[in-house]
Amino acid sequence: MTVRSSSGGPDAASARAAVVSVGARVGPRAWWRRQSSQRLAFGYLLLAPAVLYVLLLVGAPFLFSLWLALSDANVGEPVASFVGLENFGAALESDVFYTALTNSIVFTVVAAIFKGLLGTTLAFLLLQPFKGKKIVRGLVVIPFTLPISISVLSWKWMYDSQFSVINWFLSRIGLIGSYGSADWPVWLGQPHLAFAACIIVNVWRNFPFSAIVLLAGFTSVPTEVIDAAKVDGTTFMQRFRYVVVPMIAPILLIGFLFDTVFTLSDLSIVYLLTQGGPANATKILPVLAYQVGIQSGALGRGAAISLFLFPLLLPLMILLLRNIKRREY
Amino acid sequence: MNHPRRVQTDSSTVNRRKFLAVTGAGVAGGALATMLDARQAPAQIKGTTLRILQWSHFIPAYDAWYDRFAKEWGDKNGVKVRVDHIPHLDIPARMAAEFAAGAGHDIIYNGSSILTRLYYKNLVDLTDIADAAGKKYGGWIPAARSLVEVEGRWFGLPIFYILAPMLYRKDLFEQNNLKPPDTWELARVAARTLKPKGHPTGIALSQCADANLFWRSMCFSFGGTEAEPSGENPTLDSKELREFLRFAKAIFDEGMTPEVFSWDDASDNRYLASGIACWVHDAISAYRTTEDTNPPVFKNTFLGLEPQGLPGKRVSVAAPNVWMVWKFSKNQQAAREWLSYLIDNDLEGMVQSRGYNMPYLNDRYKKPMPVIGTDPKLQILQDFPKIVAFYGYPGPSTTPIQEIVNTFVFPDMVTRVARGVNIEEAIKWGVGEYRRIYAKHKRA
Repeated sequence: MTVRSSSGGPDAASARAAVVSVGARVGPRAWWRRQSSQRLAFGYLLLAPAVLYVLLLVGAPFLFSLWLALSDANVGEPVASFVGLENFGAALESDVFYTALTNSIVFTVVAAIFKGLLGTTLAFLLLQPFKGKKIVRGLVVIPFTLPISISVLSWKWMYDSQFSVINWFLSRIGLIGSYGSADWPVWLGQPHLAFAACIIVNVWRNFPFSAIVLLAGFTSVPTEVIDAAKVDGTTFMQRFRYVVVPMIAPILLIGFLFDTVFTLSDLSIVYLLTQGGPANATKILPVLAYQVGIQSGALGRGAAISLFLFPLLLPLMILLLRNIKRREY
Repeated sequence: MNHPRRVQTDSSTVNRRKFLAVTGAGVAGGALATMLDARQAPAQIKGTTLRILQWSHFIPAYDAWYDRFAKEWGDKNGVKVRVDHIPHLDIPARMAAEFAAGAGHDIIYNGSSILTRLYYKNLVDLTDIADAAGKKYGGWIPAARSLVEVEGRWFGLPIFYILAPMLYRKDLFEQNNLKPPDTWELARVAARTLKPKGHPTGIALSQCADANLFWRSMCFSFGGTEAEPSGENPTLDSKELREFLRFAKAIFDEGMTPEVFSWDDASDNRYLASGIACWVHDAISAYRTTEDTNPPVFKNTFLGLEPQGLPGKRVSVAAPNVWMVWKFSKNQQAAREWLSYLIDNDLEGMVQSRGYNMPYLNDRYKKPMPVIGTDPKLQILQDFPKIVAFYGYPGPSTTPIQEIVNTFVFPDMVTRVARGVNIEEAIKWGVGEYRRIYAKHKRA
């Protein structure tokens, strides 16, 4: 059959059909043997460690905290029962919660604005050529690398009501009166000042991070593009607005995302400086969640308070990540 | 040769068997007494490791002594003792973590915020040790029981508490013909007189332990209460509370500065030591700090009993310190032995803390007490145990009270009044928070 079919002639077509029919009888290769499936499987295999990591270290704790928030768990009871949304309702009943929620949002937004401004300025300064630039670049990240407890305790001393070095300096240069006078600021005692004091420490600690992120972005912009914009007669602000920012937008957005998450969930600065006082003027959600959930033992209610951060962050994350994705070429 | 004559004995005379029985029992009893006296621990704890978690004491010398003392006990009994010190504010978080993990230290310390009622199902019953110590040393002061007793059992062992007397500048008082601050009214008059002369007073009105303790002392001395004796329901809302808040507003306006809104637990120590304060209401750490840093001011710093609010009414809210043993501990026997030994030596702890640690056992108050009994200025501290109370007065330290303490509801209510909020409005907020927190715990 094969000899005849291969010789051509009038039977050749039927012979080819026979070959085809033989092939058809064997059937298509199993889907897992296909090259495309195998490539896909290999891809998933490579992705698996990252997925596993996220599931174990992010997904599992998140689901656990969700369970805690829906239960009557407390620190001394190993077994908890389901209570539905009761813990969320309990949080909403307390006016301290609303104060903490408002403070958290204001704290994050105001700190982000200042970190953005100072970080951009610093990044531009560090782009300029000057002697000792490498040393200065190393020095500016010190606040970010210092243990938070040590740096915050140092600030606490600087804000001390009696021995504040800031006040003594301001007093010496005549901007405020002497200790005991009415215009002697009590940094951690007056509600607005205390709130500002906490924001200042957060900005001081984190703006070097913003600067480093921006610096990395700026240095990635090709000089030819900048030069071309200069030839076109653009001003510095125009180059920044229409050339640099669009080019480094993904880096900016990722930096912004990180900073927002870190600031909204930061417990240490406020806890160490004021514990949320005076009279809850500086209370933010993480501090309230810690005081209720851990110090007072009501894990369920503490988890519910901290989970209120999630609906705040989720839309922001989706917006930012979508924006970043849209910019991918 | 005379035959030995059988001596007739009656039942009251001694025969060989009886002699052996009596002397045997005597020797055994004596040995037991000696063993108990020396607190020789049982052999089964030899070769084990005992892990203790506790705070970093405000008097560092106490920690040095404690570590050495524990090690010596361990060496004597063949137990390897490891003591870890962390800041007292970190204890609740560490305790939660150890409980969740079911592993960690054998003995855990609580200071100020006593979490016995939260964890008691997972703590070793120490009633026998407490009973034995009570019998041996004349019983416990009344307030001790409220800290650790749940359903009639003691799940913690109170070892010491920290007092807060009045510390005032006798020189300034005398120069201005002021009487010692034996009542809150006298303290207010002194502050009102001395503030214009550059010597205001201060009690923390921030979110710190001092604010939680000292304003409660004032309120309770004015007849206010926080909860029923059973601890079941809050009793804050009262005419006594209103009277106290009116007084608090007056003493703040007349005698304090806004600095108190920013204070932490050490600020009043510095205020006194700097020579500014006319009086502070604080633990004797303020006295010791002044002793170490400003001798001329120290010379003129004197101590007073908790001031009276209503005539004859003094309530001093103290900071309790309690040790507990985890049920998951694999070395409960050694933990119990160590705590028994520690309570036997609480007076030594008092000496090492320079009089800072006050014992809970009545016999310890036989005058003169160590350190405070020999210092004429500190002798007044010996009279405190009758007026000592803890959070939740006159009830026990329940879980809702702990949440109220940890979220600073009470000092925040006083702060609102000091900042000018109408008293009824502040009470409405404070009482509302109390009721809300109690309701949550009842539902749970």
